[in-house]
Amino acid sequence: MQPNQPAVAIVAAGIISPLGRGLEATARSLRDGVDCVTPVTAFDVASARCHTAAHVPGTWIDDLRDTRKRRRLHPASLMMIAAMRELRAQDPGFAPQHFIIGATGGGMTFGEAFYRSLAKPADRRRAGWLANYNPQKPLLDAQEDAGFRIPGAIIANACASGANAIGHAFELIRSGRHDAILCGGYDCISELVFRGFDSLQASTPEKIRPFDAARTGLVLGEGAALVALENAARARARGAQILGCVTGYGISTDTHHITQPHPSGIGPRLAIERALGSANCPAESIDYINAHGTATTFNDATEGLAISQLFGNRVPVSSTKSMMGHALGGAGAIEAVFSLIAIREGFIPPNINFMNCDPAWDLSIVANQSRPATLRRVLTNSFGFGGANAALVIESAAGAN
Amino acid sequence: MDLFITGAGWITPLGESLGTVWDAILAGTPAPARELPGPPGGKPHFAATIPPSLVDSVARNPRLRRSSNISLFAASAALSALRAAGLDPAKPGKLALISAVCDGGVIYTRKFYDQIVRQGSGSPLLFPETVYNAPASHVAALLGLDGITYTLVGDASAALAATAVGIDLLTSRQADHCLILAAQETDWILCEAYCHWRLSTPGQSISIGSNRGALIADGAAAIVLSREKSPCRLHAVTDGVPFFRQSEASASLAAALRTLPASVPSRVIASANGSFTDHAERTATENAYGPLPTVFPKISLGDAFGAGALMQIICAMESLRRDPSGTILVPVIGLNHQAAAALVSPI
Repeated sequence: MQPNQPAVAIVAAGIISPLGRGLEATARSLRDGVDCVTPVTAFDVASARCHTAAHVPGTWIDDLRDTRKRRRLHPASLMMIAAMRELRAQDPGFAPQHFIIGATGGGMTFGEAFYRSLAKPADRRRAGWLANYNPQKPLLDAQEDAGFRIPGAIIANACASGANAIGHAFELIRSGRHDAILCGGYDCISELVFRGFDSLQASTPEKIRPFDAARTGLVLGEGAALVALENAARARARGAQILGCVTGYGISTDTHHITQPHPSGIGPRLAIERALGSANCPAESIDYINAHGTATTFNDATEGLAISQLFGNRVPVSSTKSMMGHALGGAGAIEAVFSLIAIREGFIPPNINFMNCDPAWDLSIVANQSRPATLRRVLTNSFGFGGANAALVIESAAGAN
Repeated sequence: MDLFITGAGWITPLGESLGTVWDAILAGTPAPARELPGPPGGKPHFAATIPPSLVDSVARNPRLRRSSNISLFAASAALSALRAAGLDPAKPGKLALISAVCDGGVIYTRKFYDQIVRQGSGSPLLFPETVYNAPASHVAALLGLDGITYTLVGDASAALAATAVGIDLLTSRQADHCLILAAQETDWILCEAYCHWRLSTPGQSISIGSNRGALIADGAAAIVLSREKSPCRLHAVTDGVPFFRQSEASASLAAALRTLPASVPSRVIASANGSFTDHAERTATENAYGPLPTVFPKISLGDAFGAGALMQIICAMESLRRDPSGTILVPVIGLNHQAAAALVSPI
């Protein structure tokens, strides 16, 4: 950070994921290392390699289906509304100028139902509504529910989207172009995406074991997370509570292959180096790394290599995807909020299902149980298809000074 | 900070040449509609498509061998824009790539899901091309970019949002040049969905003001934004103003227009496409500036939703090339998210 650049504070956050609805419930589950992965029942997976995923239980958002309109909304919209309401309750005075969201699939299950409905004339009447699967719909639904009417942008950089959304918002505030931005990400499990990862043999028939020598792939998750970013001086001036801050953002593009990172780990390494440079902090100052850690052969190999090269085995590492799977476009935002929770609650979330570290690298994995820790500065990584890589540095509220 | 459009490229159902296609637009040449195969037992749909021969050369690139049309269109427009800007695609310098899409790789998405429904599994060759950032990923690979690459998704306004991101990156000096790219491919399922919304026409042409819907089109457009001076200045781009229902679209555009510099443009390159947007756009622009000479490019190009707004900007460039006087207004009303506007002017 340059001397004349404003600090960027996080003044509120909202989250819903398989680990819980709301910050408190999520913190409890993260600390307890809850395994949220269960058999998929929403669609037929009998012929798939993987049979599990981590869902947000429908009952957690039932209370939001309280009007005729909201009863028809896609779960992605309801999750966004849940996260938005939590955020708004924390800081009703937050007045965002922009809304930047990361997402990859929108209401894809509506798209799937639309496709299926075309083969059944009896269902065609519903088709017009089902066609509401665009990624902007949950953004609009959450805005309307909150009473906002602000410019919106949806970044669809695959699994880095949520981190990109927060990172770009951070840059816009730090450069002085805006003072307050609402940002985050969401994604919902759909049959198409589930089958997509299955077709690539990227999803696992077993437990998800990030960074383990015996890892066999990812499981999908879902959720939504929002953070309210604000120029720290402006936030203090209006008496807002500062929960933490974003101090660094790095982005890189790996052009090696559309689904596979370059084996050298150059993509993740560049993103991490740029995030550290953006935060003007040395690698030694990072207290915890919330890894992308999908448990796929290629991701963990390159991310593990990049972390080893830049941090050695000094910094504790865990992948919270071991508990709640991979929420794709929402993952970066969800994990940024996890990082904030870890800083505020003073613990490092565990990397569950862990047995033996892959001998290809030497990482300090926080295995199976959370660990009490005083965290001042956390790095959170997000990498995606298309070579989209992003890393964020999240700090305690002291970093806003 | 003054920013300039230093290069542009497009690929449309009428061809790739900026000048020739602009002439066709000025002549009111209608978009060439082709019947698309529909769902079994369903009605046929019409769309303005790009002949495969136009993308033969980019399709031979190994990276693009298996890609969907949308990536071929994107690559073609991007390379044309870079050449026009005088940037070497092999060494583009500190170039950020901001891509906008509306529906993404809808052909492969539909095929992949069809395989799931019919066979219980889909091809691993198709799935990676279904992600929204596939076109940007391929173009980044062609250019060897390792820095900022964003894909924005939304309605037609996403291309102006992408342009605004480019402005942010240039203003904050995170990039020296920004390639703004938008692309759209057609498929019958897209026509079917937009027909259900009453946004696309069941016919073969559009009629502005008819509210019968747009003619969906293939297409891609790209511009290079830079701090380096060129004859065409991107004078302003507004933020998007969301609307929750179609009846609010005109007010959203009016709100966007109020944030533009207070001068009356000399002419308008409209986003009107035969849907509800036509009346909303005309009302907002006339209330703001009175009646102005207006060109309707979508009569000739069809509506390549994701790329339409950038095509309007390129039309404004071409218009200024012929008549470098006055400022040109580019209003954009997307179909289901936001309204926004841009001003393009001579240096």
